[in-house]
Amino acid sequence: MQESMRVPFVLRGEIIDDCTVEHGGRHGQARFLTPDIESALGRLPLREPSRMADLYSLTMDDIVGYLARLGKALDVRTNRHMQEAFALSCRTSGLSEPILRYYYELIPQSFEPAVVREMAERLVGIDYLEGWVEQASALHTGVPTRVRAFGARCVHVIAGNVPMVSVGTVVRNAFTRSDAIIKTPSNDPLTATAIARTMVEMDRDHPLTRHMSVVYWKGGDESVEREIYDPRGVEKIVAWGGFASIKHVTRYLQPGLDLITLDPKHSSTIIGREAFADDVTLESVARRLALDIGAMNQEGCVNARVVYVQSGTDAEGLARANRLGELAIAALQQLPEFLSTPHKAFDAALKEEIDGLRYAGDEYVVYGGRKNEGAIIVSQNDAPVDFARQLACRVGNIVPLDDIDTAVRSVNAYTQTIGIFPETLKTQLRDRLSYQGAQRLVSLGAAALFEDAATPQDGIEPVRRMCKWIVEQTSDPVMLDNLARGTM
Amino acid sequence: MSELFQNLLRDPQSYIDGDYLAGHAFTREQIEAVHLAGLRKRFNELRGQVPVLDRLATEQGIDAIDSLEDAVPLLFPHTVYKSYPLSILERGQFDRLTRWLDGLTTIDLGKIDTAGVDSIDGWIKRLDEQTDMRLLHTFGTTGKLSFMPRMREHWIQSTTLTAHAIRDWNGHGTGPDLMSARLPMVQPGYRYGAGATYRGVEAMVKLWAGGDDNALFLYPDDYFSADIASLAGRLRAAEARGEQGRLELSPGLLARREEFAHREQQRPGRMKEFLQTAIRRFGGRDICLFAVWPILFEWAEQGLAEGMRGLFGTGSLLMSGGGSKGRVLPEDYREQIFDFLGYRRTFEIYSMSELMPGNPRCEAGNYHVPPVLVPFVLDPQTGKMLPRAGTQTGRFACFDMLPDTYWGGLVTGDEVTMAGWDEPCDCGRRSPYLHGTIRRFSEIQGGDDKINCAGAPEAHDRAMDFLLHAAG
Repeated sequence: MQESMRVPFVLRGEIIDDCTVEHGGRHGQARFLTPDIESALGRLPLREPSRMADLYSLTMDDIVGYLARLGKALDVRTNRHMQEAFALSCRTSGLSEPILRYYYELIPQSFEPAVVREMAERLVGIDYLEGWVEQASALHTGVPTRVRAFGARCVHVIAGNVPMVSVGTVVRNAFTRSDAIIKTPSNDPLTATAIARTMVEMDRDHPLTRHMSVVYWKGGDESVEREIYDPRGVEKIVAWGGFASIKHVTRYLQPGLDLITLDPKHSSTIIGREAFADDVTLESVARRLALDIGAMNQEGCVNARVVYVQSGTDAEGLARANRLGELAIAALQQLPEFLSTPHKAFDAALKEEIDGLRYAGDEYVVYGGRKNEGAIIVSQNDAPVDFARQLACRVGNIVPLDDIDTAVRSVNAYTQTIGIFPETLKTQLRDRLSYQGAQRLVSLGAAALFEDAATPQDGIEPVRRMCKWIVEQTSDPVMLDNLARGTM
Repeated sequence: MSELFQNLLRDPQSYIDGDYLAGHAFTREQIEAVHLAGLRKRFNELRGQVPVLDRLATEQGIDAIDSLEDAVPLLFPHTVYKSYPLSILERGQFDRLTRWLDGLTTIDLGKIDTAGVDSIDGWIKRLDEQTDMRLLHTFGTTGKLSFMPRMREHWIQSTTLTAHAIRDWNGHGTGPDLMSARLPMVQPGYRYGAGATYRGVEAMVKLWAGGDDNALFLYPDDYFSADIASLAGRLRAAEARGEQGRLELSPGLLARREEFAHREQQRPGRMKEFLQTAIRRFGGRDICLFAVWPILFEWAEQGLAEGMRGLFGTGSLLMSGGGSKGRVLPEDYREQIFDFLGYRRTFEIYSMSELMPGNPRCEAGNYHVPPVLVPFVLDPQTGKMLPRAGTQTGRFACFDMLPDTYWGGLVTGDEVTMAGWDEPCDCGRRSPYLHGTIRRFSEIQGGDDKINCAGAPEAHDRAMDFLLHAAG
């Protein structure tokens, strides 16, 4: 039994390190100690909204400058808190060490001025964050209406599958001038805490530091959540992740509390018949498919799981689909270790399902799946496996199709990303996939890469919704007076 | 004893009419010899005839069984019996389901005509009509039913074996001989069905009760629907994922919902009537009662409150099990039930739908493994066999050597603690035994994906509710 790691709370510039309560990590591996949340509850929500005012003494340049300094301080090679977070993540996360190392080394980049400015500009609009913006109108003839985006008091129930969720939450909270209470997940209890501790060490009295708290409680603990999800201290809740965690939150909804859900999602792949044009193309398609399935060890909602392939379903078609499966499992083993490795805690229930298929007559062909190397299951008919929702740990399911429409019809509001090959098929299907509920359409292979991350998410604009959009209007006093007199 | 031993080496099914108790008194060497002989015999007979077994053996490179360890890679994961694609059922492709099942049995299903079959119930009926197979289905783990290709003869055999176990478990002739005693049979369930607890009813009514005149069922004319059980499982799985709105129902199922609805609405009233009828017809007499603990406790609680107690003869028998899941029972629930019933003779077993023989519970609270079942405890991580020595905890796997038309090797989803190899149980019996603390691995991992017998009615009700409210 390994020693329990300490996960202190960070409360508005103050570190609470009296860790007495033990919690279990996921995958049955690590346990960690936190302070008692009850003792922090009173100070956690910002009960007086006027205390948001200090954030408005800052300009966007100040915010960008602060984040740039923070980014430099978060270098995992030198920052002791980040090193601890990395070490604990190695025990709690579904990602293996080389992948985690890669992400931790990327963290400072997310704080660079150009990155922050582009996020603020595209996800909200810097002019709206910085001041009142006049609204042009072809109809309204008086003084133009002004609109400004204000920060809100917000609880973030974040996901722990990748450390980038913590990073993004801190950056978004800063440039929207919001007040954040981050509730960390048990599969990544320390990354957000490490960032907040670094903020305290860097400048404990800075408004951005004072408007950041990071705590842990066990999701669903009613005595804690009833106190926190109270519209007198909190205006918005951003909830990531699983069905259960979002279901917990919905219990407390009432007028005055806005819930922004980043629902549990699954992603898929659509591969057109062009993939089978020749061997070179097919091999490349298999490698790109391996990326969509394997990157981040399939821990993300963006990762491919069910793969629809227009191979045909006759004997030749099935042979084509099987060939792709064979190539994809090989490609999966070749992925560089900073992107993907055999899963360190392969899901036992999933393994049983795969074992069952292997001897189920001619309905499925299974490549891999012997140990923890991942697997490609090729359905020998046009239906996904019955446990498609359980696919994880680098297991994909190729479903051969005659007609691409079957793939389109399978898409619904639970479908986040779809990796598509070739590009022409993406253009051809993009509107129809959107009607069905798909939220992000990418080139095959790019599902789990975030080349251009300043985009809407899950079909919504969560950062705009994190803000309060305030309207100011000026009317002609004479007109108003006349209206009241009835002399217009 | 040596006669039984010699017979078992030759034919595992000789246990059915053999000396039941002697099977729990073998020496360690005898047990090993019986286990190995049974495994070899079945492997040699079945490999060429059960395609899935042949495929597994070929893949594992196993051509002969020289030790118990050799058999471990040949045990089927329990998921094999539900490895058909659910889309087959949704699309009504019962020819494909038949072909899938064909891979798991020596019985040739190639000529089964599935034309016109549009439901699981219809498919099972078709198999009944055209073969001697009397298929068994489970109640639906994670949304899917498992199908076991058991034969009519197997049901007769397992019913006979159970009767002998009851008669001789505490010493030869100490229990009622159900094969001749003609105890009235009382079951608060369905008379017909292919579900695990219903498929054996036919043989029990015939062999034990001596006919339907001497038996009482909650639903004497009705059939427990596999389609409803399947829907219940799928609904549960969908609920757990928040996808309840996405279930699609087959037109065949929707067409039958009036019939189901009617029966379900009458259930509470019928249960009361059932108990009254049981008391009127069989009160004061010795009976054979089958019921899970939660239902019995419900009866007892109400009955005792109304001053009813000691209802049946002291020579009666209670067959129960299923734990108390889904309901918290008071500590003295058994005492209350025994007060109400008027007798305390109980025969409890640990078994599962996939196995023909059961493992009877002894006075020390352990479940004893009969010689026709080869028990394994596997390391949950590596799947390797743990030694037959001392006390071992791990995943339960076993080889059932009674069936001769399908492969009896199975890796279960249960965590067990096994002992009895070096020293006999406190009860004095020498057969290996499992501790009373058996649990599902899925529960240990935080979920509970099994609808067991006791939980099934609840899930069944929810399925009905869904069916009744579904558009259509």
